[in-house]
Amino acid sequence: MCSTAAVTSGESTYTLELPYRRSVGPVVGAFLTGLRDQQVLGSRTAAGRVIVPPLEYDPDTGDAVDDLVGVGTSGVVTSWAWIDEPLRKHPLDRPFAWVMVQLDGADTSLVHALDAGTADAVGTGMRVRIRWADERRGHISDIACFEPEVDQ
Amino acid sequence: MTDTERPGEDSGPVRFMTQHIALDYVVRVSPLAERFGEQLRSGRIVGQRCSSCGLVYVPMRAFCPMCTVAMGEEDELELADRGIVTSFTVLTPIQYHGQKERDDYALASILLEGADGTVGQQRLTGMPLDQIRMGMRVEAVWAPPEERASAAGERGYGFGNAIEAWRPTGAPDAPTAEFAAHVL
Repeated sequence: MCSTAAVTSGESTYTLELPYRRSVGPVVGAFLTGLRDQQVLGSRTAAGRVIVPPLEYDPDTGDAVDDLVGVGTSGVVTSWAWIDEPLRKHPLDRPFAWVMVQLDGADTSLVHALDAGTADAVGTGMRVRIRWADERRGHISDIACFEPEVDQ
Repeated sequence: MTDTERPGEDSGPVRFMTQHIALDYVVRVSPLAERFGEQLRSGRIVGQRCSSCGLVYVPMRAFCPMCTVAMGEEDELELADRGIVTSFTVLTPIQYHGQKERDDYALASILLEGADGTVGQQRLTGMPLDQIRMGMRVEAVWAPPEERASAAGERGYGFGNAIEAWRPTGAPDAPTAEFAAHVL
């Protein structure tokens, strides 16, 4: 689909949008269902690693994983990148950080946005917590973003 | 980049995820298309006449592809906002995401009076779809001036949103010989 969104002198902006409806399967489906209930699930492998977001298969052995366990809703930033100019489809409309967050009880990190105000406020090792969306529908955006764990 | 629609799963296990992948892109409009658009915004359709062979091109295209002769402002001429339907098709819109059309509609190629090429993808209005004919004489229905903003954004292929549609003038149809050379 194509539409003319805006025109400045000498330029014309178009948007091409592709709508998908994806089947999420039993493991990611359970993860998304959990988010709707403000709960984060990971998959626990035979070796005891907890993978968040959960995978259907143990990345080390390839074995199927069906042991889903709850993890914390706070965690530690393991990596980050600052975004000065958010794009239209980014989760926040103000400058933010993409962060890898290792939630308490998890052995891997998930990617999400951190509403930190300025880049100076972001660092590897900082503690962050989930800010839940007011309306949740079983989607990764049920996590509106992360926020620093210190009370703002 | 993604966004979502409410999938309507307020309870029970989540089984599907909607995802819209979007590409925003900016197109540089050529100075000529920009100029053509400015004229459209003031309600004028401007073409160019090749100084060598005399063919009239609309929209303007800066050179005659037959003679490979440059055309400039001195070759510009204003055309009437009337023409002949040389070809048309009736479309039934499929209701995919983002579809704005609801009812069947017709698009036509129109040979403007005085032009030597047709302009395609033109909306027809003011007549039952089953009464549209090749050779039918039509005139432009202009958008209100304040709504002609993106006329320059069409990269020189059409009339942007400056002309909403074309309606029958009521004059007798053009004889086939008048437009036969322009029918694909």
